[in-house]
Amino acid sequence: MLASILKLARHRQLITTLTSRDLKARYRGSVLGYFWSLANPLMLLGVYTLVFTRFFPRPDISPYALFLFAGILPWIFFSGAVMESTAAISGNSGLIKKVMFPAEALPIVVVLSHLVHFALAMPVLLAAFGVAFATGKVPFHPVMIFVPVLMLLEALFVAGVALAVSSASVLFRDLRDLVQNLLQLGFFLTPVIYSIERIPSQLMRTVLRLNPMTPFVIAFQDIFFFGRPPALVDVVLMALYALGSLALGFVVFDRLRDTLAEAI
Amino acid sequence: MSTPAISVRGLSKSYRLFGRRSQLQTLKSALLKRELRPDPESSVQALRGLTFDVARGEAFGVIGRNGSGKSTLLKIISGILKPTEGLVSVNGRVSALIELGAGFHPEISGRENIYINGIMLGLSRKEIDRRFDRIVEFSGIGEFLDQPVKTYSSGMYVRLGFAVAVHVDPEILLIDEVLSVGDEEFSQKCIAKIQEMKARGATLIFVTHQLALVKELCDRAVWIERGAMAAIGDPARVIDAYLQEVAGHHLVAAGDVPIAMSGSGSDAPAPREEPAEKDPLEEERWGSGEVLITDVSLRDDRGRQLVALGGRSPVTIRMQVTAREPQTDFVFGVAIYHGDGTCVYGTNTEIEGWRPAKIEGDGTVDFAMPALDLVAGGYRLDVAVHTKNGRAFDYRRGAIRFVVGSGIHDVGIYRPPHDWSFLGGIELELTQSSGRRDVPPEIEKTLRELDDSDESD
Repeated sequence: MLASILKLARHRQLITTLTSRDLKARYRGSVLGYFWSLANPLMLLGVYTLVFTRFFPRPDISPYALFLFAGILPWIFFSGAVMESTAAISGNSGLIKKVMFPAEALPIVVVLSHLVHFALAMPVLLAAFGVAFATGKVPFHPVMIFVPVLMLLEALFVAGVALAVSSASVLFRDLRDLVQNLLQLGFFLTPVIYSIERIPSQLMRTVLRLNPMTPFVIAFQDIFFFGRPPALVDVVLMALYALGSLALGFVVFDRLRDTLAEAI
Repeated sequence: MSTPAISVRGLSKSYRLFGRRSQLQTLKSALLKRELRPDPESSVQALRGLTFDVARGEAFGVIGRNGSGKSTLLKIISGILKPTEGLVSVNGRVSALIELGAGFHPEISGRENIYINGIMLGLSRKEIDRRFDRIVEFSGIGEFLDQPVKTYSSGMYVRLGFAVAVHVDPEILLIDEVLSVGDEEFSQKCIAKIQEMKARGATLIFVTHQLALVKELCDRAVWIERGAMAAIGDPARVIDAYLQEVAGHHLVAAGDVPIAMSGSGSDAPAPREEPAEKDPLEEERWGSGEVLITDVSLRDDRGRQLVALGGRSPVTIRMQVTAREPQTDFVFGVAIYHGDGTCVYGTNTEIEGWRPAKIEGDGTVDFAMPALDLVAGGYRLDVAVHTKNGRAFDYRRGAIRFVVGSGIHDVGIYRPPHDWSFLGGIELELTQSSGRRDVPPEIEKTLRELDDSDESD
């Protein structure tokens, strides 16, 4: 694993270049360009606010749009990056087959470019929080300055998953559809649209606790909605998940590495 | 020679056949057992037991039919694929031209793609900065530099890809059939660039179907047939062996007068070692043998056989030819080489517009030159009779070695007919009376001796 990390470090220039290429290419040709990175989360927030204040008011969690927005951003980062990583290697067969290319850079690039989008959504979240705070709806806690650390931990966790998924889906193409459906299920098994504290069954709460995405989502809700620091147990869990996922991701990737160029 | 640039030992490669049902199985076994070797029923053997070295600075050609394993070999050397068995060690910075512009992103500009591609090939941003202008100039994409690559023609795409790849300044350059793309002018430019890299000491591995290019550029070649080495060594001979096989002929052992076409039809021929440089004094001979050059001699204008000659004397190359079977497709060729291997001159009947009608039984071919105009030194004569596409009936390399003698110690190879004259206040005096003679005394003597024991033809 250390060797793999060193290898990635050696290729950092390649990774940063590819990431910026990814970001550039994404909006190339669209009229609004980079503005979409900001506009997308803004519109998402607008839709939630509209739906949950006008159509399905949720007086139990208020303001519900902020609660939802705080939790859904880390989830979108996770699900977006993992989904895209299923095609990160298989979609770049030219690079793997025709160029000497460090394949592990590809899922990492996917994760980084999603991380950039996540980061670009943060100003929108902060603004939404600011409005809610100014109107006295939510409290503020200075632990908010540690949000970048939280994002970094999640990025490590996502990177591990992406490494494993990207390489395994080359050999096992069905993984793509499998992952897509698992992510659907995962969305509802993660307390994004509901608060875990309001789940009546102790058993269900335990099940939700076993979901590694749960502490990340809860931590964001703690900071931006409840105005409190995340529970220590959640912080420890996040660190463990991040390291565990990364280790597992590298093990899987290392084992499959040699077969990639052939199987693709 | 120090450590070879590339060393291949017992290299075999099997490809798994990836069936739909076995996918999960493959994933499982790769994950759990770390087992990369596939079971024999579900795999194809692409390479079997290759062993060879490529020396530093050598240009090495790889030829063979489609699907023979050439590209697999290149991909293993470049590190893209892993060998199933055997060892491959590569010493030096490698750049592989397997597909030009493989890493280009269509949506972004040529300028940005140059950087990305360069970084992929192992350059740093600074190194690309330094090479940037040269790359752009070489590619000739001009004002399209800041357009997205998707707007490029396929020719521009390839040119840009090649330009980036060669400016990486690799120690080892792997080229897979990429020179056939692009227009004639650009492909000449590529070949010139490759020659320049070779001159600077880069090692080249060259997979191609353009056999003439292999002959021109390569020091050695290997012919791969169904994954195994069929022949390795001197490019001209390896190519000929390959052409013979393609034409459906069995291989004829080189060396002696070929005994044609009763070869053993063994399935996997053991690789024949085609010596790159045998004893330089020994004639090498190969071909399928339907037409044979039974005798080659140098004659003067009176038909006398020459062993040594002066630069100015008239010379005729005479070949005695026997056709064992009548042929309608045949070309006679001659080539003179300097002792250091430089080709002084080469031509054939095809090049000069002689259309073959038929050859039957015995005959004589004379190639007459009023003067050789060569500087003193050792030379070698190659003669050949082959088909229009280059398959040799009989190829005799170094059929004759001859010495050109001279009393004048001028340098080079070619001595253009010339005269000095001095006008005005310049005065010189010719000292040596023999200095203006082309034939030095010892050769005069040899000629006289030959004259005495004249056995006319």
